[in-house]
Amino acid sequence: MEESEKMLEKAVEALKNEQIPPGPPQKVIESTMAKLAENAGQADTVKHKYRILILEGLRATKSLTKIAAAAVLLIAAGYAAGRLSAPRAPDMEQIRAALEPTIRQNLIDETKQYMQLGLANAYIRIKDELSQQYRQDLGRVALQSVAASNAVTNELLTELIESFNEAQNQDKQLVTAALKQIESRRLQDRTELSDALATLALQTEDELVRTKQDMEQLWSYTQSDSITPKMQ
Amino acid sequence: MIDWQLIIKEHGSAVWQTAYRLLGNDADAADCFQETFVSALEFCRRQRVRNFSALLTRLATARAIDQLRRRFRRSRSETVPADWAALESTNPCPAEQAQYKELTDSLRESLSKLPSQEAQAFCLRYLNDMSYQQIANELGIKANAAGVLLHRARAKLRESFELSMKEYK
Repeated sequence: MEESEKMLEKAVEALKNEQIPPGPPQKVIESTMAKLAENAGQADTVKHKYRILILEGLRATKSLTKIAAAAVLLIAAGYAAGRLSAPRAPDMEQIRAALEPTIRQNLIDETKQYMQLGLANAYIRIKDELSQQYRQDLGRVALQSVAASNAVTNELLTELIESFNEAQNQDKQLVTAALKQIESRRLQDRTELSDALATLALQTEDELVRTKQDMEQLWSYTQSDSITPKMQ
Repeated sequence: MIDWQLIIKEHGSAVWQTAYRLLGNDADAADCFQETFVSALEFCRRQRVRNFSALLTRLATARAIDQLRRRFRRSRSETVPADWAALESTNPCPAEQAQYKELTDSLRESLSKLPSQEAQAFCLRYLNDMSYQQIANELGIKANAAGVLLHRARAKLRESFELSMKEYK
């Protein structure tokens, strides 16, 4: 039992000392003022409703006749006492003059407060509408900007792709022409080389034949020189 | 005619604190704040107000308890995802903080289970430091009756804590 009492004390202490953020936020105050202004507009209907309820309640009271009789008696007694004790009739002009500034002031205050509430309500409503409109406009502009930038980006990309393709084709043509030129040169070189080789072979053959003849001639000279002294 | 702007300016902070202390989050406290002032407006149409501070504190407490009751009734019928953001803390002693959090949540739940008048009397006495006479004036009862309400509320809360301790063991 004591333990639960201690826990309860501790819980109350913890709840009491809990950190509470400063508030209320401005938004909550504004929405509360708007709600109050909205409810203040319904004041008259509510008042009538309560008046009807009070009247119905009074009608339902069994002692209504007693109350009415007592009221009549009191009024009559009061009237008689007033008539007897009053030195003179009240000055209506004086009373009016005394009451008028107060009533006027009260009326001005009430009108002022009612206007303030109305203005606060209108301000909040206009602020909400404007912020909503601003958000919508901002969204529309953002969508339009995104669409326009998409179109421009697509156009630029198409142009870029086309220029790439064109450059690629040009490169291909250049490479093909270069390859063709290389091939034709190779063929020409080959022909020239084979011709040169054939010429070289022919010349070599001629040279060989000539050399052979020279050798044979030399040989014959050599032979004749060696034979002659032997014969002497 | 009543200048509500001035009243909100003067007593708004106290109403906010009362609502937030009992509800523990911004959204519910904001709803409670609005409901409190609407209730006060309706109250002013019916009768003259002598002490706005006490009236608003009482109304804020009553609306916050209604809200707590709705919250715990709803939480029994549906599963609410855990508020992981609430776990973040700069407190150097998280275990103690967790214990305090558990205690305050438990007290909130127990308050939501009390009869409305007992819960209001308890909160006005122990959270808002009102005297028996002030509580009696605000609840429209005698000071003795306020004492009885407080005694019953304490007894029920003790019982609730004892039960939760047994369940824990």
